[in-house]
Amino acid sequence: MSIKQAQLAMVIDSSMCIDCKGCMASCKIANDSPEGQWRNWVKHSVPDFTARFPKTHFQPGGCMHCDNPTCVQACPTGATYKDKKDGTVHIDSSLCIGCGNCIPACPYDARFRNILTKKADKCNFCAERREQGLLPACVDTCPTKARVFGDINDPESEASRLLAKNAGRLVRVVNAKTDTKPNMIYLGETAPLNWPVEAKMPTAMAALTSVVNPLVRTVVGLSGIGVAVMLVRQLIAGSDSEDDVHDESGTDSQNKGGDA
Amino acid sequence: MKLSRRDFFKASGLIAAAAAGSVPVLGGLEPGLAHAGTSSGEWSNAYSVCDMCFNKCGCIARIQDGVVKKLDPNPKFIKSRGMLCARGNAGVSQLYDPDRLKHPLLRKGARGEGKWQRIPWDEALDMMAAKMQDIRKKYTSCGHLFSAGADLQSQFVGRFAEVYGSYNVTSHESLCLLSGSRAFLDTFGEVPFADVLNSKYIIMAGANRFEALVTPDSIDLMTAMQKGTKLVVLDPRYTKTAALANEWHPIRPGTDMAFMLALAHVIINEKLYNETWIQDKTYGIEQFREHVQKYDPRFAAEECGIPAEDIVRIARELAAAAPAAMIYPGRRTSDYKNSTQIRRSFAIVNAILGNWDQPGGLLAAREVGLKGVPFDAPWYDDNPDDRVDAHKVPMMFEHDGSFVLTRDAVLSGKPYPIKGWFVYKTNPLGTAPNRAKTIEMANAMEFMTVVDVAMSDTAWMADLVLPAPSYLERQDPASGLQGSAACACVVQRDAVVPALYESRPVFDILKSVAGKLELGEYFDFTIEEYRKKQLRGLPNAATALADDGVYYNPSKVYGIYKDRVYKTLSKKIELYNKRYEGMGVDPMPVYSPPSKVPKNRFRMVVGRSAMVTQTSSQNNAVLHQLTGPNTLWLNTASAKNLGIHPGDTVEVASSVGRGELKVEITDGIREDTVYMLSGFGPLSPQLSLIFGEGASMSAVLQEGYDEICGNAALHETIVSVTRKVAS
Repeated sequence: MSIKQAQLAMVIDSSMCIDCKGCMASCKIANDSPEGQWRNWVKHSVPDFTARFPKTHFQPGGCMHCDNPTCVQACPTGATYKDKKDGTVHIDSSLCIGCGNCIPACPYDARFRNILTKKADKCNFCAERREQGLLPACVDTCPTKARVFGDINDPESEASRLLAKNAGRLVRVVNAKTDTKPNMIYLGETAPLNWPVEAKMPTAMAALTSVVNPLVRTVVGLSGIGVAVMLVRQLIAGSDSEDDVHDESGTDSQNKGGDA
Repeated sequence: MKLSRRDFFKASGLIAAAAAGSVPVLGGLEPGLAHAGTSSGEWSNAYSVCDMCFNKCGCIARIQDGVVKKLDPNPKFIKSRGMLCARGNAGVSQLYDPDRLKHPLLRKGARGEGKWQRIPWDEALDMMAAKMQDIRKKYTSCGHLFSAGADLQSQFVGRFAEVYGSYNVTSHESLCLLSGSRAFLDTFGEVPFADVLNSKYIIMAGANRFEALVTPDSIDLMTAMQKGTKLVVLDPRYTKTAALANEWHPIRPGTDMAFMLALAHVIINEKLYNETWIQDKTYGIEQFREHVQKYDPRFAAEECGIPAEDIVRIARELAAAAPAAMIYPGRRTSDYKNSTQIRRSFAIVNAILGNWDQPGGLLAAREVGLKGVPFDAPWYDDNPDDRVDAHKVPMMFEHDGSFVLTRDAVLSGKPYPIKGWFVYKTNPLGTAPNRAKTIEMANAMEFMTVVDVAMSDTAWMADLVLPAPSYLERQDPASGLQGSAACACVVQRDAVVPALYESRPVFDILKSVAGKLELGEYFDFTIEEYRKKQLRGLPNAATALADDGVYYNPSKVYGIYKDRVYKTLSKKIELYNKRYEGMGVDPMPVYSPPSKVPKNRFRMVVGRSAMVTQTSSQNNAVLHQLTGPNTLWLNTASAKNLGIHPGDTVEVASSVGRGELKVEITDGIREDTVYMLSGFGPLSPQLSLIFGEGASMSAVLQEGYDEICGNAALHETIVSVTRKVAS
């Protein structure tokens, strides 16, 4: 009985992206993202103007819905979890305490603390739209259809077919130290590649695991102390520290000095 | 059984303590309702047609509890290839913009002072009718000017002007694309569509399709390139189109004609054309062959700054790909005094490629099937003979006029005075060159009415400001569209939500005023009835429009001219223009170099991005988050010369005005050129998001005009750039 579970994923041919930002506008409206906060982005490579014909590569992205999500490991309450049914990394906002641990734990800067809800926020592949039989907002609206969405474990899906057709030229954008096995799969020579960072696991969680005897690290203990520590952390840190705002200028400055 | 932290929290009472926010606990446990603020009400769907720019892409409004929550692309809408861009998505923000005009406003203080009084609609319409009657009595009907944009109700402004008796109508087009239309019309007898999708080789000069989106061309360009189509971009600026092209040549601005004539030189001298086709279809090959001899690639290289070897190579590659090859016609052609002739050189290279009416080339207009709704306008004996801007240039478009020349006429009062101005869905204060002069023009008016969704700069100068509904809140007539080889289609709009505030469609306003001026018979119909008349030749259209949001006419795409003569004097494609010859205009494009840019000064070029539609989207909350205020692009070496550093604020000044904005130092622009995006730095503080942000192109640009058709010539502007010391 090895029926493969679904794994929703996005397969992106970034060479087709024209950086029109239709995906960002569509996502923002579909998900009511607050002013200045975005669930997705378009990064770009840095052109080499000494080249005969300089070029720029535009690379759309968002939460990578990783197979090995460090954000899940960093979440003290279990609010962030990998959905067993469809493979998405999901935030159960009723469980999120807004501690912000998951934000640096994501190598992709895909998470932010929503300035209105005070909770972790990120792409959920538009679960609400999918319930209505619609595609994720970014995929639906994309002019060049650079983003293709589907269950890559279903060989009949368009995403699967695209993967199979491009089997030799798939790129997973990862940080060497933290390969979270992302389900945002790029085709061909996508760029930039140098932007994922090492996942930073919360110090409080790390301290907890080293102090507490593994034998008594029961579910109750871990979660209860974890929550207490994180709630304190949130009170100290405030709810809208600069680190939590995923904005465009941030992604741009991060790219400076990147590959051409 | 392993209990995860998540499962534990669900089981334990700690959940209530953890859920410190406002999200109800139970709601949060339901799968799929993970984000706050979504009510559980069902969505309903309604077709509409986007109006965030001129493209008219098909969209579907997702409505929940009477609120438009989202606009999605209509997958059946082939012209827009089933997509909706950032602006299209942001239509929701236009609809619910808190800065929208909400009720009629009458100016109380001086023009531009911002003192307004709210008045009832009855009073506003009575006043408008009385003032129009007044102006007609004092200055004839032609003493009233009408300006309109390009949305589906703009045609009613033209209809009203005609029955009121004024010839003085200016469209947005004379600030935009008329030189290009003139050039292609005078070469092929009609303005073509580009079959981008099927082309193998595209030269794009003075167009920027990956930013200034045109559907389906922008999307087709990417699709075609994925299949191997070569794109060569000539642009003084590293646009996103340049960034994605196979080749980007940072051409010296204003020298495109030299490049095109050199291409023709190579193609003709190396006989890289289809001899039979040229003989059968074109007029004037001998004269043209002679004409291009002096424009060899070496000459062009000197002018354009593009190596002669490249020009020769590109000419050969282009000819080898012909007829599935093209010089992309472009659209924004309001750049130089000789833009018509510049674009004639584009048209002529297309002609010798033999790409007319062929796959991958330039396509003739297809049959859409929509009918007109004709009327006989009354005759007014006291009217002058002609438009106020007539006879200044030889080949103006009668229905579009020339905004720049009309403005001069208004200011001089010659040949006759214009004292009334009605403006709908266009914003010359923000888009026409030399804003100071447009302000003077407004000041010269006795009465000025503006109908708009928001308090644009032009509305800010008006006497009477009337609130219009957005495109999502009104019923519009049908309109025929064509795009590439994709389609000839019919679209129309119905309101997807009721109109907000006291807004009224311009049709209702004009109909009411027409009634008061005893012109009611010309507006004696509803939009519904009007549409029926438009669709009378298309029995299946109404059902298709209801079912799919669009009707396609299955008309012929290629070979339309197989047994047809061209609508030119010679009845052929005119390399040599017979009519120009008779009018004393150069029958073939004669190259004249653009004015020299003095040291440490710059030619200013302007443009559009995929997130900005000039000034009509400037105050949009979503788009504003994506673009921020505009910046002045300045070359790295030029900035160094001027002592300007990244992040500096600079003043950019021409002979007519100035602006202040942040600099963007980049190698992506020539040393002799600066660029800024249109649509910023407004006068109107009622555009609260954007007021005081960035600089206005209209404040800085000089008012040159195309000497053949009167189109504005925006790129004739030379500016200085100075670092502003932070205060």
